[in-house]
Amino acid sequence: MTDFVQNTLDGLMIGSSYGLLALGFTLIFGVMRRLNLSYGASIMVGAYLGTLVYVQFGAGPIAVAALAVAGAVLAGIYVERLCFAPMGPGAGIASMVSSFAIWMQLEQAAILVLPRHTYPYPPLAAGEPLTLGPFMVRLDHLIMLVAALALGTAIHLLLYRTRFGLALRAIVGNPVAAHLVGVNVRAAMLGAFALASAIGGVAGYLVLAADQQITPMFGMWATIKGLIAMMIGGLGSIPGALLGGLLLGIIEMNGQWYFGSQVRELAAYFLLFACLVLRPGGLLGDAPARVTAAYGPRA
Amino acid sequence: MDDYLIGVLSNIGVISFIALSAYVLLLTGEISFGQQAFFAIGAYASGIATALWHWPLGAGLAWGGAVAAAAAALLGVPTLRLHGLYFAVATLAFAEMVRLLFELFHYQVLINGELVGPNGAEGFRNIRYIFDNNIGSTEFLVLVYVLLSATLLGFSLLERSRLGVIFRMTGEDDVLAELSGVAVARYKVLAAGIAGALAGIGGGLYAHLTTYVEPRIFDVMLGVHSLAYGLIGGLGTALGPLVGVLIDIGVLESTRWFAGYRMVVFGGLVAVLLIVRPRGLFDEAAVRNISRAWRRISSPKRRLSQTQRKAP
Repeated sequence: MTDFVQNTLDGLMIGSSYGLLALGFTLIFGVMRRLNLSYGASIMVGAYLGTLVYVQFGAGPIAVAALAVAGAVLAGIYVERLCFAPMGPGAGIASMVSSFAIWMQLEQAAILVLPRHTYPYPPLAAGEPLTLGPFMVRLDHLIMLVAALALGTAIHLLLYRTRFGLALRAIVGNPVAAHLVGVNVRAAMLGAFALASAIGGVAGYLVLAADQQITPMFGMWATIKGLIAMMIGGLGSIPGALLGGLLLGIIEMNGQWYFGSQVRELAAYFLLFACLVLRPGGLLGDAPARVTAAYGPRA
Repeated sequence: MDDYLIGVLSNIGVISFIALSAYVLLLTGEISFGQQAFFAIGAYASGIATALWHWPLGAGLAWGGAVAAAAAALLGVPTLRLHGLYFAVATLAFAEMVRLLFELFHYQVLINGELVGPNGAEGFRNIRYIFDNNIGSTEFLVLVYVLLSATLLGFSLLERSRLGVIFRMTGEDDVLAELSGVAVARYKVLAAGIAGALAGIGGGLYAHLTTYVEPRIFDVMLGVHSLAYGLIGGLGTALGPLVGVLIDIGVLESTRWFAGYRMVVFGGLVAVLLIVRPRGLFDEAAVRNISRAWRRISSPKRRLSQTQRKAP
């Protein structure tokens, strides 16, 4: 029982990073109705920028974190301009494939700049873990959880209390109608993309600072984890993204403890598959809408 | 032909199978991120058949295709009511489960004092059929291309058949197809089965070409690549996915023009290409125009008589 509680606690912490990744993903998907496969790669670009400055000049954690977020935003804008903005309606599939191609491009570019397989990443808060009776929590993991909850709340407030959020929700409802009532759809989409990339950048930084190392595979990892958590929680739902992430973390940590690391991944994919087949809308999502990331109707 | 060229050509042929597998599903309007699962199942099943059970190569390949087709049809049933991103991610989850299960899969037999067979994450070594039977690399290349040509012939027959029309109809609008009397569910499972069989045969060829497979090869990257090939080449004909494979493996990887920068160049090229041609190089409209132009060139007399008829 103690093990289970400790695993669940660890799962909550790890899961909060998945939740953050899903938060950015779901924001892009909700607004664009298109899948951005380059999401993780943009985060990786930011993270690599941080590593580069850390390795070359020994920059401190604040500079590294700022660069991680800034780099992710820049890479995100690059992806949006190249893969999403020029594509007309009905070309959702082209956006997806194009974002996959850019994922490959960004990954190779990162390897060209920093060719070794792994690089160190500066820790955020080293030191003794906090103890709570028989249970232990790492400080950097706790920061991760707090950041996830804070950012989740902030995004919720942004969406429901500001004009920008109102514009985004109007676009989610109907882009043409939003345009007709004076919303600058293209600018709002770019804004949502940049915001989502920034959230991803924060998530990426926190995960890497806890791991204290980075590999080029991080982009793929971030995309997959974000995608799973988003699908479990429900497409386009902010609380769903966080809940999906936390649930994924808890299942993974318990699966790893009781059955080993291969089963950890297996359990995650099984959870995803079962969720999709039994409840395709996700835990907190709407009924499965026809998603235009699919091979939509031909224009 | 030198060995390097043979290797590249064999590779192109084998990868074309998994690209065509993704293409079949694209025809019916579904995006799969998971065809690598059936490629893996075919590779393991046919490798086991020839290396452990001493089956002949043809039977082994057929077995690989059959097992993969059965698995794909089985997966088709629970995922039937999923569309778009939901279907794509469900296939991705399934494929990753298959990959991870192969990491736990041990089935080894002592053959000539040597343990042979799948050994979890270590992989499956010594699928030595083509060495043991003195099949040269050129002969194997011929086998790959004979099978590929047969498949393409099958596709060209499919395009002319009722089944082909039903597939494209379903892809265009499955509700409308259902209303026109097409049993969409049945045809979707059929399409999934055909796609599985193609990937399985490709996997079997791959296993015998490289003599060694491991679960790590069959990751998401392979799946997304095989999907992208069809979408870059265009969905107008079955040649589209082949064009995609040719561009990626044939031109960029093999010529080594952009050593180290391959993906930087390729990624950018694909992104720009998709802005100009969002439905791929040879999409339906392009194929229609080309075949119309071809008919005009090949039978100028008919065109003349048509214009004459119109003139008065």
